[in-house]
This record gives sequence, structure tokens and C-alpha cells, in this order.
Amino acid sequence: MKLWSSALQSLLLGLSTGTYCAMYCAPILIPFISGSENNSLKKTTVLTLLFLAGRIVSYVVLGIIFAGAGMLLSSFFNPVLARRLSVFAYIICGLILLQNFLVKRKLSKNTLEANKKACPVRMKLAVFTGNDFSTAVLSGLSVGLHICPPFWASLFLCVQSGSIFYACIIFLCFYLGTLPFFLPVLGLPFAVKKMPVLKQIAQMTQLLIAVYFIIFAGLIPLIF
Amino acid sequence: MSAKLVLTAFMAYIIYFFTISLQSNSVLAWVYGAFLLYLFVMMLFSKNANKYRRLFQLVFAVLFTVSFVGNLYDERGSMAITQNAFYESEIPFCHLVIPLTIIPYALTKTIIFPARISGHYASILSMLIIWLTATVTIGRGWCSWACFYGGLEDGFSGLAKKSKIKLLPKNNEIRIFHFSFFAFLILMSIAFLSSIFCQWFCPFKLITEFTPIVDIPSLIATFLFMSVFLIFIIVLPILTKKRTQCSILCPFGAMQSLLSPISQFKISIDTEKCTSCMKCAKACPFSAIDIDTIIQKKGRPELNCALCGACLDICPENAIHMEFSFTKKLAKKCGLSLSNKTKSKNKIAGFFKDLTQPKHAFVFSAYTFGVIISSSLATDGLRRIVSAFIRALSLGGI
Repeated sequence: MKLWSSALQSLLLGLSTGTYCAMYCAPILIPFISGSENNSLKKTTVLTLLFLAGRIVSYVVLGIIFAGAGMLLSSFFNPVLARRLSVFAYIICGLILLQNFLVKRKLSKNTLEANKKACPVRMKLAVFTGNDFSTAVLSGLSVGLHICPPFWASLFLCVQSGSIFYACIIFLCFYLGTLPFFLPVLGLPFAVKKMPVLKQIAQMTQLLIAVYFIIFAGLIPLIF
Repeated sequence: MSAKLVLTAFMAYIIYFFTISLQSNSVLAWVYGAFLLYLFVMMLFSKNANKYRRLFQLVFAVLFTVSFVGNLYDERGSMAITQNAFYESEIPFCHLVIPLTIIPYALTKTIIFPARISGHYASILSMLIIWLTATVTIGRGWCSWACFYGGLEDGFSGLAKKSKIKLLPKNNEIRIFHFSFFAFLILMSIAFLSSIFCQWFCPFKLITEFTPIVDIPSLIATFLFMSVFLIFIIVLPILTKKRTQCSILCPFGAMQSLLSPISQFKISIDTEKCTSCMKCAKACPFSAIDIDTIIQKKGRPELNCALCGACLDICPENAIHMEFSFTKKLAKKCGLSLSNKTKSKNKIAGFFKDLTQPKHAFVFSAYTFGVIISSSLATDGLRRIVSAFIRALSLGGI
């Protein structure tokens, strides 16, 4: 397979199915960014880029694994694997969003200071994993594990190529194709500035989404 | 007085056409028609229109449930959704899922609800037309005047004399939660391309149709449906005297609240007359008035006002009024003052002024909606109850 042909194929795949990528990421990105503290265009841009960076890292790592293993993994190309990966993606993403919500809402600065004395390691870990920037990266990483049909098609291209370099190019192009669909997210801080109540609504929405991801999209399909 | 009589005559014609003539002039249609007309007369002529509105909605909700369940038994033999009905897209389209359907449709051109577009009982197109008409006319007034679920909560909230739980200080949080839950449902329906409200959270599954219990997830879902129904439709309305499902969970209600600025009617509070007694806030079943609304002298209820009229009836100072939403803008454009309340000396002008009073116009429009929506369902429900009663009597040998 020629490099340029695979790259173009992946780019078009990303462009044609980017709506679905954005639709899947919307429940994570929109409430998280709208509900973040000190919201500004600069911070939103950084958070979105970090989220997208997390996604590309996941994509490339999966691409490398699949391309490296090549046709050895062909027997795993079934809906069961896709479903399992998605279920884990939901649970991890739900936990990250929940942690971020708790850090934002429950652990105010004063209680943080008070709790630091009691258990500094736990508190530092909580703040590290729950701050906006790490949440953006971690949720991006977990979203990358979610298997949707276009992503599955890209993975198959990687396996067919059998080359790690090709895999990186394929996923990079697929990823670039989906990027334009994330541009509207940059308008969120303006909306929140105009209607400050949106921030409270977004934080509550984030909690509901986290609980739904963990229980209804994660644990119930996993256990039953 | 004469304007009210004219409105009553118009309403009598509407009731005759939709409730009696279209229902084959049956005796039960006449009975229901007479009942509807009686309620309308009481709404116009008594000072407690809200009481009769509540009675209408309660009767409608009960008869709707009887009719809907009866139809399901006639069609499928049970209330459970059959695979055939699901794959043939024969599930009746419910207005609660309109917001969860139109947004994924706009993005993907996929209808995520297994209902027929047209030509079927409660098809998508017919519900959309009703919704669009209601939105531009009575706005969220739909929830208090035409929604066939709302009456159940209205009924239960009227059971206790006094509220056991006072939600007034929490009204703002309730509104925030409602919009958060709405945003959550919308985002999830976009991400999963399915209506997760119907899958897990709809309280009305219990009185309409439900997914049969075939595995543990469907058992969990049924448990959730029952819990949500018990908590939000029965227990909380009794304890709080509020319509808790409508003001906390309902996605349609949240969407109508957001769209209410485009409706033709709104409620305004005269801040000069208002004495901050908070009776309106306590009476509002949708938690649309709170302490901030009154203290900050906003001059109107919050966005989630469902125009039920409870505050209009209870205000001791007559400080709350129904208004046309366009009058202020129009008056400003034309350089007119709305504060002129002198009675017109010209009898004809006075008659037309009375006829087009916003409150009368609203009650007439909203009730017309209620009459049209309820006609066939309520008459059918009544027929089923009467025939069941006659059957029971004949079985008992009376």
C-alpha cells in the first residue's frame, strides 16, 4: 500500500466521519470546558489541545500495537473486543470526570489545606489527577480507547499495512481529519461569560455524565 | 361579560367539533363535551381558573392512561414492547423525547426513535406539528394545559393540605438541576444515538409501555422506572405540593422553557404592587418563582414558568398578570403607553378590548389545545371505563 494513498484514505475517513467523533467527545468536552474554573479562550484552547493530544497518543499507541502485531491480531477483530475496549473507555473516562468534579466542587481550597496535613500523598494525588489540565489529558487518552466504526476501519488499515511507521501516519491523518469538528468548542468560554449560570449547569452535567459512564455504559454492560 | 360569553360560544363550537362531531356523536362524547364546556365556563367566570385547569388535566391524564393501555392490549395483548413493534417502528412517538430526537437528527439525519414518520397512531410528524404550534403559541403552557402526563402529578400534589417539604429556598438549585439533566440527556443521546431517557429514566413507562424483562439490565431498568415513578410522580408531589417530575426531570419541559421567549404569552409581576408575601412562590408548582425573583424585582417569573396561572389566582394584590409577549415591544415602537387602564367609553371598543385580554386569549388558546389533544383519547378512555363497569355489573348479576 502506498503511503500517500493510505494517508489520504485516513484523512478522508476522518473528515467524513468527524461528526461522530465530535458527537462522542461532546459529552466529555462541553461540560468539562464550560464548567472549568477561570474559563478563558486561552485556557479553553489549551484544554482542548491537551484533550486532543491525549486522543492522538491513544490512537498512535493502539495503531503501533496493531500494526506491530499485524495479522496475529486478526482473530480479535470482532465486535466483542470493540465493545470491551469501549466499556473500559467509558469507566475510565467516567472516573476521571468524577474525580475532576469532586476536586472542583467538594475540595475547596480551605479543605484542601486542612486535608493536606492529614494525608498529603492522597491529597496531592487527588489534586494532580483531578485538575483541569490532567483531566483533559487523561480523558483524551481514555476517549482514544473508544472503538467507533471509523476508528475500527483505521485500525484495520494499520494491520493491513504491517508497518509501525504507516500506522503512525494513518492515525495522524485520521486524527487531523476529525480536528475541524472540534473548533466550535472554542466558543464555549464566550457563552459562559455571557451566562454565568452555564458554569453551574455544566458542572452538574459533568457529574451526571460521569455517573452514567461508570454505571450504565460501563459496569452494567461489563457485568451482565 | 359579553366578551366572555362570546369566547364561551367559540369554545362550545370547538368542543362540539372535536369532541362530539369527530367522535361519532356518541353519548359519552356528549358527556365529556359537556364536562369540558363546564370547566371552560368556570375558568372564565370564577376567580380560580387554576383549580379547573388542574381538574381538566387530572381527568385527561387518567382517561389517557386508560385509553393508551387499552389500545396496547387491543393491538399487542400486553403493555410490553414487542420485537415486532420495535423493528416495524410502531412505537407511539412521545413528546417527551422530541428534544432527544431532533438534535441527533439535525447532526446525523438519523431518527433514533423507532416510530413511524407519518400515517400511524402518534407518528413523529403529527407530534412535531403539534409541538411547533404549541411552542409558538402557548410555549411551555403545554405542560400545564395539554400534557397528558402532567395531570397525574397535579392530582397527587393536591392530595396533601400542606407541603411537608418546603422547596422554596431550593428553587434555584432545582432549575439548575433540571437544565443539567436536560443537557446530560441531549449529550448522551448524541453520543449513543439512542434515547437514554426512554432506556433508563422515563417514569411513564409504568403507565404506558415498557421493555419486557428478559435479562438483568432490563430488570434494573424496570426497577428504575418504578422508582422514578414512585418518587417523582407520587411521593415528592404529595410531600412538596410541586410537580417534581416536570420541574426536575422532564426533557420536554426544559426544552419548552428554553423556547418560551418565542411564545406569544408571558406572565409579568408588577413590582410596584408586589408586597413580597411570597404566596406566588409557594403556590408555583414548577418552582419558577423564588426569593431572588421577588427581591431582585425581576418583574417576571423565571424561564421555567409553565403559565399554569396558580400565581395569578393566589396573588392578594393582583400584581401578577398575563401579557402578550409582543405588546411591550410594539408599544415601544409605536410610542404608546401600556399603563393606560381607563375603560373605553365606546362599547364596541370596550368589548374587543375585553375579548382580546391576554388572560382570556391565553386560557382560550391553551384550553383549545387541551380539548383537541384530549378529545379522542379521553372519550375512548371513558368508553373503556364505562364498558368495564357494565361488564362488571353484568358479571355480578346485577
